[in-house]
Amino acid sequence: MQKAMRAIGVCCVLALTISNLAVTAMAAPTERYIHIKVNDSSKGESVNVNLPLSMAAAILPTVNKGTLHNGHVTIGAADFNGVDVRAILQAIRTAPDNEFVTVKEKDQDVRVAKSNGDLIVHVLDKSKDGEKVDVTIPMKVVDALFSTAKENELDVAAAVRALSDAGDAVLVTVQDATEHVRIWIDSHSSAE
Amino acid sequence: MVLLGKVALGIAGTALAGLGLICSEGMIEVNVVEKQPEVHHVYVLAPAMLVPIATHLVPSRKLGRASAEIRPWMPTIRAALEQLRAGEDLTLVELREPGQHVLVAKSGGSVVVDVTDKDDIVHVSAPIRAIESTVEQVAAASSETQD
Repeated sequence: MQKAMRAIGVCCVLALTISNLAVTAMAAPTERYIHIKVNDSSKGESVNVNLPLSMAAAILPTVNKGTLHNGHVTIGAADFNGVDVRAILQAIRTAPDNEFVTVKEKDQDVRVAKSNGDLIVHVLDKSKDGEKVDVTIPMKVVDALFSTAKENELDVAAAVRALSDAGDAVLVTVQDATEHVRIWIDSHSSAE
Repeated sequence: MVLLGKVALGIAGTALAGLGLICSEGMIEVNVVEKQPEVHHVYVLAPAMLVPIATHLVPSRKLGRASAEIRPWMPTIRAALEQLRAGEDLTLVELREPGQHVLVAKSGGSVVVDVTDKDDIVHVSAPIRAIESTVEQVAAASSETQD
């Protein structure tokens, strides 16, 4: 009887400990940060910006200036050049991983692909110091960006919220002869 | 003699409590070192609570322009400060170029700005709560001016 009571007591303590750990883990979701790092080796300049995504998500809906209203950016019809971006994205979303666009020119290479749930854009400009641009956006973020009811709006706030749920990712890198720009998401508050 | 001691103890206690109240919102620290042409050093350490009080004492018309400009941005400022206060310490912006270093960070409930260049070293640290109170005071002055 005493052994049984002891076993029940141990079980209770274990259950309490586990539930406490679970509650703590659920109550404190890991903060995620967007980092922007710009290095210009020719001038010896560098800029680092670190911003919690929760802060960006809280600030964006409060800004009402220019084309940005309540977290939505209004885009003129001319910016789409008559292209139905939503239809294209819907087609990409349902398509399997593939390379959709490959352009090879004398001065420029462009590649647009879908890989592991990410939309990848790669541009190599051979005329300007070999500038190389790589953009990797999770499809969930692209979906969130175009989740508004209005055709000419992008929901930036929703995209930021979607970024918070995405894993660690390098979103943008731009590299030329002297400059290096990097934008990425992770759960570290510093860029190092 | 005992009565005098009690009175002295009361005064000292009140002064200490007042000091504690004034310092309850933290301290604002300003440290400026001019390196050229002559070395000057200015150091100010003041209770943060005094700043919104001082702002309150400034006539509204003197704050009119600043408050009119800051008012449309109040929801954004409130959201940013609230998130900043709740978040952990971090470096928000760091800029390095030859001869210059600028750092904006959140550290221990305060916003810290450090600027170092070949002529000056500037360090400013202000508690977020004091910044909130001061900005609210400035924004409120706008409505008083417009009324």
